[in-house]
Amino acid sequence: MTGHQERIIKRESYSSRAVISTFAAIVVALLALYALLESMLRVLGQTAWLIDPPTAAKRLSELPAGISPALLAVIGVLVFLLGLMFFLNAVVPGRRARHVIPDRRIAVVVDNEVIASALARRARIAAGVMREQIMVVVSARTVQVNIRPTSGIALDEAQIQAAVEAELDAMALEPALTVTVHLAATGVVGV
Amino acid sequence: MNGTPRGANRFILGVLGLVLMIIGAGIVAIATIPAAAQWWQGWSGAWVVELSDLMSRTHLGTNGGSWIWLLVSAFLLILVIAMVSWIANQGKGRTGTLLNRPGNEDDDGAAGDIQLSCAVAEQALKTALLERSELLGVSVTSYNFRGETSLRVRVLPRQGVAPHHVATEIGALVEAMDELLGVQVPVLLSIGSGARSRFTKAERVR
Repeated sequence: MTGHQERIIKRESYSSRAVISTFAAIVVALLALYALLESMLRVLGQTAWLIDPPTAAKRLSELPAGISPALLAVIGVLVFLLGLMFFLNAVVPGRRARHVIPDRRIAVVVDNEVIASALARRARIAAGVMREQIMVVVSARTVQVNIRPTSGIALDEAQIQAAVEAELDAMALEPALTVTVHLAATGVVGV
Repeated sequence: MNGTPRGANRFILGVLGLVLMIIGAGIVAIATIPAAAQWWQGWSGAWVVELSDLMSRTHLGTNGGSWIWLLVSAFLLILVIAMVSWIANQGKGRTGTLLNRPGNEDDDGAAGDIQLSCAVAEQALKTALLERSELLGVSVTSYNFRGETSLRVRVLPRQGVAPHHVATEIGALVEAMDELLGVQVPVLLSIGSGARSRFTKAERVR
């Protein structure tokens, strides 16, 4: 694998923040467009649409007069939370739920969801249960297999674990995953 | 692997977030702490007086407008343009040329260029992949990633399909394409799941 491909994989493993950036840009652009409209109306000597810019500045400087304190506090909290959302999006690494499969020619990334459904299929065959009785959760370093056995049929936990681990070994994912199998204490009837 | 300006995204979001957090905290302080409200009214009141003074000194013609607002408008216009170009930069970096090789006379006796369009590789891969019944969706796009044309293959396999089998099969396909084209293009394979793979039947007779 070349350095170029490693860079591609690294880039694919993190979020680009494109969606929230577009959202932020649209919000700022709309606010700026409104302010532009009002200030151009002022330049042209027309009557204001909603509020005259000098009046707006005067009202702002007179806060908290002219508005109920509770409403003002709520507006402040909302603005703060919006800012916090943007700030956290900028600071948090934003790893995507993906793993890498090494290959000699191409760079391969797999969504965790796809890994989970492949492992669920393998575990289902090993346990001999229906689709609805299995839930597999894949996170960055662990796989959790939850099985609700059919009532009256005992399942071999070690055998299911071995089957899932064999499938994972065949995938050779990076970073490697550890498997925990959890059999529910209660069984299901009539699935 | 597209040309989205990730560093710029995070930087602008961070600055915007900080500014909004400061404004929000300020509003809450004004609403709840009387001393803060008094300070705000005094501080900003002085600015408003200054502003109206400035407005009365900067009359434009006879209709009473002030060119201060023209300056404000110009600034806002620049801000809008900046935001639009920020949006336009998201997801850029698509390219159309896979290979551009200038020929020379000592190569085979003819001068000229050889250009391969990305559509060659994209369509070759796509038609080969669409035949597979375990893949529900295939899209192939080419990007210019750090000066090198790279292919991005996104496949949405059916539920339960082992991803490493998909990877090795597509790897072999790409190697066959290398021989066909005579160049090795960097390829990214992204295996994901979409709405269609989530809701179609998983079981299938192979």
